[in-house]
Amino acid sequence: MGQTGAFLEFLMPLLAAALTTIGISAGAFVVALVLGFVLASVRYLWPVRLVTIPLQAFVEIYRNIPSLTHLFILYFGLAYLGVRLSSVTAAILGLGLIGAAGLSEVYRAGFQAVPVGQREAAFAIGLTPWQVFREIVAPQAWRIALPPIGNYAVQLIKDTSLVAAIAAPEIMFTARNLVVNTFETTLVYLLATLIYLALCLPLVVLLRSVEKRASTPR
Amino acid sequence: MIEFFLTILDHLPNWLPRLWPALGQTLLITFASFILASIVGVLLEVIRSGQNHFLQRVVAGFVDVIRSVPILAILYVLYFGLPGVGVYLSAFAAGTIGLGIVYSVYIAEILRAGVQSLHKGQREAALAVGLSPVQTFRFIVLPQALRVVTPPMLLTLISLLKDTSICALIAVNELMLTSKVIMSESFLPLHVFVVVGAIYFAIAWPMSLFVRWLEPKLNRGRR
Repeated sequence: MGQTGAFLEFLMPLLAAALTTIGISAGAFVVALVLGFVLASVRYLWPVRLVTIPLQAFVEIYRNIPSLTHLFILYFGLAYLGVRLSSVTAAILGLGLIGAAGLSEVYRAGFQAVPVGQREAAFAIGLTPWQVFREIVAPQAWRIALPPIGNYAVQLIKDTSLVAAIAAPEIMFTARNLVVNTFETTLVYLLATLIYLALCLPLVVLLRSVEKRASTPR
Repeated sequence: MIEFFLTILDHLPNWLPRLWPALGQTLLITFASFILASIVGVLLEVIRSGQNHFLQRVVAGFVDVIRSVPILAILYVLYFGLPGVGVYLSAFAAGTIGLGIVYSVYIAEILRAGVQSLHKGQREAALAVGLSPVQTFRFIVLPQALRVVTPPMLLTLISLLKDTSICALIAVNELMLTSKVIMSESFLPLHVFVVVGAIYFAIAWPMSLFVRWLEPKLNRGRR
């Protein structure tokens, strides 16, 4: 088989695996986006210790322990308890929970960035706390949170490579299998790297231009 | 629940003698790659703020590529890929170099924010009142830049500590790999990983708290 044949023989399974990578990223992104927002909102609307302490504990535990440890606990640890998750489910759940912890802090910063005077003014004209949150605080916080959410999306796509360690059939796992069968180490890993580059580079460039526009003085 | 922790206590005397050296490896990679990343990061930022447009383009491309590729892919290319072109790195070296390269990009970004936070007029004023360039840097630029740069640098160090766990996948004998080996011998995955998670947490959390305590103190009097 010619060089091109070998090339295609590697590229096809890797591209198929890229679909799994995209699927896992999308799933985890939704979990992180929604759960992170819920956590931050609950904390914002009910700032009492009974609520904030457990939520802060969740955030600290997820932010100060490596992703790989969390994935192993979900995949191997829960199986030990009799809860057997598929590798893809564990991947989406694990990365989603890690992301939720990170994004909840992003949203929180967004909520805090809305000037207190606006809230007070909104209360003064007779809006309920829920209305203030929904109509005044959340829409503005969302805008502030958008660039970090973009950065998170890139980070997430890259972090899906970790779920190779729990045998989810994404790009790195597939690359590893191809290498085991063919010993074409350099070519296969370079191809895998290029696929990540193709997935993330457009996002990175887009985010950089958005950041640049945001930082130019008006 | 109590039984769970009793089982952990039962096994700790066997596990800890193996986890300590692994923790040593984890910390060693963390610091080695942090130093490498800092050196390369300074270099990147010096080039970026310099005059050479060609080199600036190269650095910009490098930054984008590194930001787009997972650490694991870089480690695999360094450890498994480079032997294909005749370069053999030990797993430890590949891990350190890989993490060092990835984090140099983040550190360069932090340094840039630090330099940009200073008003240009301050430097000019210092030079105008007769301070030498070295004095200007030492007494005007550095103290202020350090205030801006220290908290994000510490946060980067925490991320780096966590990401050393990825080196387990190229067979560096650090915490994560060692715990996986212990798991496959003891068949107590949950127990082992909870212990290892606790070890990471015991190091990373105090650092996070320290940054949170430090940041407002450093910002006092600014703006």
